[in-house]
This record gives sequence, structure tokens and C-alpha cells, in this order.
Amino acid sequence: MSQLVIGVTGINASDNPAPGIGVAKSLKLDTDLDARIVGLAYDAMEPGIYMDWFIDKAFMVPYPTAGHEALVARLLYIKATYGLDVVVPTLDSELPFYIQARDELEQIGILTYLPDKKQLSLRDKQSLPRLAALAGVEVPGQAIVTNHAELTHAVQQLGLPVMVKGPLYSAHKAYTQQEAMAHFSTVVAKWGYPVIIQKLIQGDELNVIGVGDGEGNDLGLVAIKKMNVTGLGKIWTGVTVNHGELLEATRRFVKATRWRGAFEMECILSNNQVNLIEINPRFPAWVYFATGVGVNLPAALVRQAIGSAVSPSETYPAGQLYVRYTDERVCDMALFQNMVTQGESL
Amino acid sequence: MQIQDTQGRLSQLAVNDEGFAFDPQTGESFTLNDMGRRLVQALAAGDALDEIVDVLAERFSMETREVRADVWDFIEQLRINNLMGAES
Repeated sequence: MSQLVIGVTGINASDNPAPGIGVAKSLKLDTDLDARIVGLAYDAMEPGIYMDWFIDKAFMVPYPTAGHEALVARLLYIKATYGLDVVVPTLDSELPFYIQARDELEQIGILTYLPDKKQLSLRDKQSLPRLAALAGVEVPGQAIVTNHAELTHAVQQLGLPVMVKGPLYSAHKAYTQQEAMAHFSTVVAKWGYPVIIQKLIQGDELNVIGVGDGEGNDLGLVAIKKMNVTGLGKIWTGVTVNHGELLEATRRFVKATRWRGAFEMECILSNNQVNLIEINPRFPAWVYFATGVGVNLPAALVRQAIGSAVSPSETYPAGQLYVRYTDERVCDMALFQNMVTQGESL
Repeated sequence: MQIQDTQGRLSQLAVNDEGFAFDPQTGESFTLNDMGRRLVQALAAGDALDEIVDVLAERFSMETREVRADVWDFIEQLRINNLMGAES
């Protein structure tokens, strides 16, 4: 196989890490892919730009809000000057663009492996009850609100405590009506409407990562329990688990939706019952955990994108520990300067 | 009398010699003292309760009555944690 150039977004390895570095690390581990990784950054200070042992070359790209043409033009420039065969977008906000531009990008030789528009809309937070029914699991009561009156009513109906969630990002626990109000304002200011109010289910947070092949099968699943999370709710320590019912529910979801691409299923196990909290249509930031236990999902996704044979990963060991840590990097200022002035790394 | 192992979860527990136990289904982990470890391993193996009590009483030089009470307390904890079902 000739050397592939793979673009990866979300290389912001900060206290709120994006999945890009985990994806890049996983792709580098698959030596048969022989991949060069292009980091697609939105800010010159994204740490991944400076992690040249995973990211071979970095380019600034315009935010999706800059419009379709601007991003396509930038990707075309990257393809022409450095090469770009596949893009793995890892951020929720980018997905509508990449899904819409799929055929156009394919025509210029840039492949993706993503759900289609219909599948993407299925996992909207508003559609959660329908998705839970497809997966055969429980779902916490929830309401969609757009103003304070609806919020007050929703909290009274659901009962406290509740989670206050943005349409794409952000989730806050509220134990009082006042707290719910405050979180509502914060979420709206940052992420806009609507806001999802969800009954808070107490229990263990179990998540599943996987890739669907678009035909109703998965290319590998790994379930984990978050043992320790940061103040932002991001996993810091976790352990692999083998919860039969959870994995079966995930397979039902993949089969029913004929899911295409990466996903993360977030669940709470309460009184031995699986409650679906959310499905993310992309890799989670802890994607490398699965790679570390032998299920390299980013590599499987890229192989699927380029039409190469993929052997589904059937099993993984339970009881494997995941620990994050912080690290530092010192490098010449010229790297940063070049990103700012030229829009690409040296 | 035997105690039912709910969905085989007790027998799935990974218990090491130091008494560290890991439930591969839920990711829960906990530590057991020597008696707890022996009790979990005996229950997972499907040993009869009377036999377990006798073995533990002899091993720890305790009264059978006392061990039986401890064992029931412990089994109640396992039930609370969904690791054991009802007696059969």
C-alpha cells in the first residue's frame, strides 16, 4: 500500500481534549497503513500542531461557519501542495459540512467515512427516545426548551436534579431551579438553542466506542467505565468492561440505523439497567483507549474509506486501565509564527 | 443450601491472591479481606453454604454460629451490589 495522507481535525489536546491526537496516534500505530498525518487546525495554539511525532504537517483551516466554499478550497490547496487522501473529522460542528461535501470531496480525491444526513439527524439529542427504542434500552426523561417558562415547566415535570445540555456541546448538573436557570443562560450564550433538559440518572457511566460499516455491522466495539473525570467531565482514568447487555444494545443500534462511521454511545448503568444518555457521531477523545486494547478503530475506518479489507475486531480484554497524563513541549517560536503568518507548519 | 449467582456475575469476578476483585461487567473494583476472598471464591465455585461455613470456621478458628452470621451479612452486600441473587 502506498503512503496515505490522512487529514485529522480536532488536534486540540488541552484540558478539554478533542479526539484528533488519539486518532492520529492510532493511525501511526498501524504501520501497514504507512500514513502521513495532516493536522487540520482552527487555531495556531492547538497543541497537536507542535506534536510532530504524531502530526507530520499542520494546516490552518477555516471554521465551518466560514462557509462551504472556503473549506473546500482550503482542502484542495492542502491536497495540491502536500497531498490529502482521506479526512477524519472528529468534531461535531464539522460533521454537517463534511457530510454535505462528501461527493464533492470524493470527486477531487479526498475520501471520508461518515454517517449520512439522515443518520446524523437520528442521533440529535432531541431524538434520543427514538434511538433508545431502536437499541432496546431505557432513556431518561427529557424536554427540549427554548425559554425560561419552558425550562421551569420541564424541571417541574422531570424533577430535580437535571442535566442542562446544549444542542451540540456542554452539559451541566443542576440541583435547584436556580442552578438550572443559570446553566440555561450559559449554554444558550455559548451554543445557542435549543436546550435539552434531561433527568439526572445516578449510576456508573459506561461508554461504548465503535465504527459501523453502513450495512448494519460493526468493525469493532469497546466498552469502558469512566473511573475518574475532570471538572469538565472528561475521562482521566477508565477501565475496559464487558457488559453483555450494553454491547448487544450497541449492536442493535448499529444494525437498526445501518450506522456508517465512528460513534460513541454514552450510557448510565443504574440498578443493572442501561440508560442511553447520548450518541456522538464521531470518535470520542479517549479513542486511543480502544487502540491500546487491540481495537484500532481509526485504522479500520480509514481502511473502510479507501476500500481496503477490514477484519472486524471481535474481542478485547476487560480490566485494562486507561490513565491520562499531562506533558510539555518546548520548541522554536518559528513554528508558531509560521502557523500564524503562512497558515501551515514548517 | 446454595446461593444463586446472578447471571454468573460472581463467577466472572477476577479476584487475585491479595483480595483485589474486579467486576468485568460493570468495571467496579473492591478489596476483600482473607475471609471475604475465600467466601467469594467458594460461592463462585458453587459450594454449599453449610460446607463454606464449616471450612471458614475451621480456617479462622471461629464459632460456626459467628461465621454464619458474617457470611449472611456478606452475602447481603453481594446482593445489594447485584452480584448475587436469591437463595435456592
